[in-house]
Amino acid sequence: MKTIIKAAAGLLMGAVFAAPVFADVKTKVALVPGGPHPYFAAWEKAGADAMKDFQLGAADYKVPAKWELAQQSQLLESLLTQGYNSFLIFPGDAVGTTSVAQELVDNGANVIATAGCLKDPSPALFCLGTDTGNSAYLGAKELIRAMGGKGRIAHFTGFLVDPNTQLRIDAVQKAADETNGAVKVVQVIADIDAPQPAEEKINAYLAANANNIDGIITTAWVPAVVAANSLRKIGDKRIKMVGIDHDEVVIKAIDDGFVDGTMLQNPYGQGYVGSYVLDKIRSGCKLKADAPWKSNALTTKFVDSGTVFADAKAAPTYVNAMVGITKDLKDKFDKDFLACP
Amino acid sequence: MTGVPRSSQMPATPSRSAVSMRVLLSNEFGLTALIALTAVVFALTLEGFTSPFSLFAMGRQIGIDTMIGLAMMAVIVTGGLDLSVGAIGVCAAMTFGWLAQTKGVPVLPSVVLAVLLGGGLGFINGFAVVKSGVHSFIITLASMSIFFGIMVFLTKAAAYNGLPAEVSAFGKFKFFKTISPLLLISVASCIGLALLYRFTVLGRQMLAAGANARAAELSGIRTGRVIVACHILTGLLAAMAGLLVVARTGAAVPSMAGQLGQDWLLPAFLAPVLGGTLLSGGRVSVLGTLLGATFVNVLTSGLLLMQVGSFWILAILGSMLLAAVFTDRARQVFLKSRGMI
Repeated sequence: MKTIIKAAAGLLMGAVFAAPVFADVKTKVALVPGGPHPYFAAWEKAGADAMKDFQLGAADYKVPAKWELAQQSQLLESLLTQGYNSFLIFPGDAVGTTSVAQELVDNGANVIATAGCLKDPSPALFCLGTDTGNSAYLGAKELIRAMGGKGRIAHFTGFLVDPNTQLRIDAVQKAADETNGAVKVVQVIADIDAPQPAEEKINAYLAANANNIDGIITTAWVPAVVAANSLRKIGDKRIKMVGIDHDEVVIKAIDDGFVDGTMLQNPYGQGYVGSYVLDKIRSGCKLKADAPWKSNALTTKFVDSGTVFADAKAAPTYVNAMVGITKDLKDKFDKDFLACP
Repeated sequence: MTGVPRSSQMPATPSRSAVSMRVLLSNEFGLTALIALTAVVFALTLEGFTSPFSLFAMGRQIGIDTMIGLAMMAVIVTGGLDLSVGAIGVCAAMTFGWLAQTKGVPVLPSVVLAVLLGGGLGFINGFAVVKSGVHSFIITLASMSIFFGIMVFLTKAAAYNGLPAEVSAFGKFKFFKTISPLLLISVASCIGLALLYRFTVLGRQMLAAGANARAAELSGIRTGRVIVACHILTGLLAAMAGLLVVARTGAAVPSMAGQLGQDWLLPAFLAPVLGGTLLSGGRVSVLGTLLGATFVNVLTSGLLLMQVGSFWILAILGSMLLAAVFTDRARQVFLKSRGMI
């Protein structure tokens, strides 16, 4: 027994000293969401395009198996060990992810909180994401316009633990309040950004109340898909709906007239421009001290990655719209945020 | 491994070869060999596996997973289980955060009070199990929701991220650039528990009550009290695990163990069951639990470095839990057929 242990220890020690030393200096970006979600699928292509366009060492999309803080932290630690030196991270928790982000930075990596922010103070360079409140407000205004300026709205939205959710609820309410009572938000259903609760709650609500509402706004991916499907199933084109994001189901429902439009976010641009900025920072660029940062509930260093409304006319070419706002975003960074030698 | 013979007749004094056979067939030996083998293979083939940061991160996670495993092991001893370990851990962590950040209580008293709270919650579980006669599965399934729900209600799901600096400094501290104090705390806890089960009356009573509650009762052991004591011990250890996670993240975060604390369930069962603790009670392996957690983390770390998808790693860990149960059963049958147990 002792001999076996000694032999194993000897082998391990030998392996330790024989292990190769990592010495890659190219920018290797890891794009790491908090867990699996269709919103982040665009990050994979964004990383691949950024790698090709900016000659990066890598720009890989790495997904934790579950929305679990420990799994995301373990994956990030492993990616650092693998030589990744730049990270676009959707924080699994606005506070809980700070520690692992700090370790990445302590080991020479750069971090941008992407699509969701870390709570200040944080080691992230900044937060790049959708100005969720503004997006929800603009979407609600479009819905009210489609409803003819009056009626009753149901709002289906995301997880309550996500600080963006309350911002979205407040923004939709604000747009309704601006109509001086002509439009009322009669129902807010939250905590449903997953298929099972979304199917259950949206279908039950529409079964009982479809005749009592004139408009639906959805401010999370899964509720948008489920609500679009529900309106198609019941064949109701009287109820106006504005969704969010670019799931095929939503885009097709816009084409077919069941949904009036969708607020496009820019996950592709977040991945593409985020990778570009990380490479620039590694090559010696600095963030300007007087850059036009925005603020939100979590941070004072926020950059809006852009949002645009796509209706029946714009839906077939929504990719062009995303490319357009991505180009604008990159130009904005070059002009207003980066100071390069 | 510590346990009490299940048969009423003690086996005859075993021969030297029989003892060697038992050692070779023990979980501890098998796990040690597996850990050595996988570590050597990964060290020789994977870039960065033996880097100081990788070893440190691995050791820190082993420390946390071991403590979670010990918490479950302490109640498995009696043939019970505790689904609320995660919820207790989070409650203790949030209590620590409230005391240390909001109330300004120094760190050490805050730690003691948080651990005592864990013990108290464990007492509630144990008392309910003994007084109701209902299996601990049902009781702790209910208490998991109750504990977590009360915690969310009291804290409004807000994290404590302004803890004293020494908390996160402790989580990041490195002995010899690679060893985390979190691992050392878990190892110390293992030693304490091994002494408890091997050398104290209470420890032997816990094992006896788990092996055969009726026989233990007839021997004068008050099994009800012993079961309550096991649940208290589980609560204390779960609270310590929660505090280790706080040290790691530098904050007390409600989502640190997932919804209702369920993220802890797989590591809680995996480490003790891999290590040879019998789910039916009466036999416990403290060393095995440490080795089980070590094996899981060495394997996970290696697979992540091999860029195996996180989804596959989760499937592999689940399969390992199943395989461990079957292997243990086969070993029991083999040893019984040879008259060794």
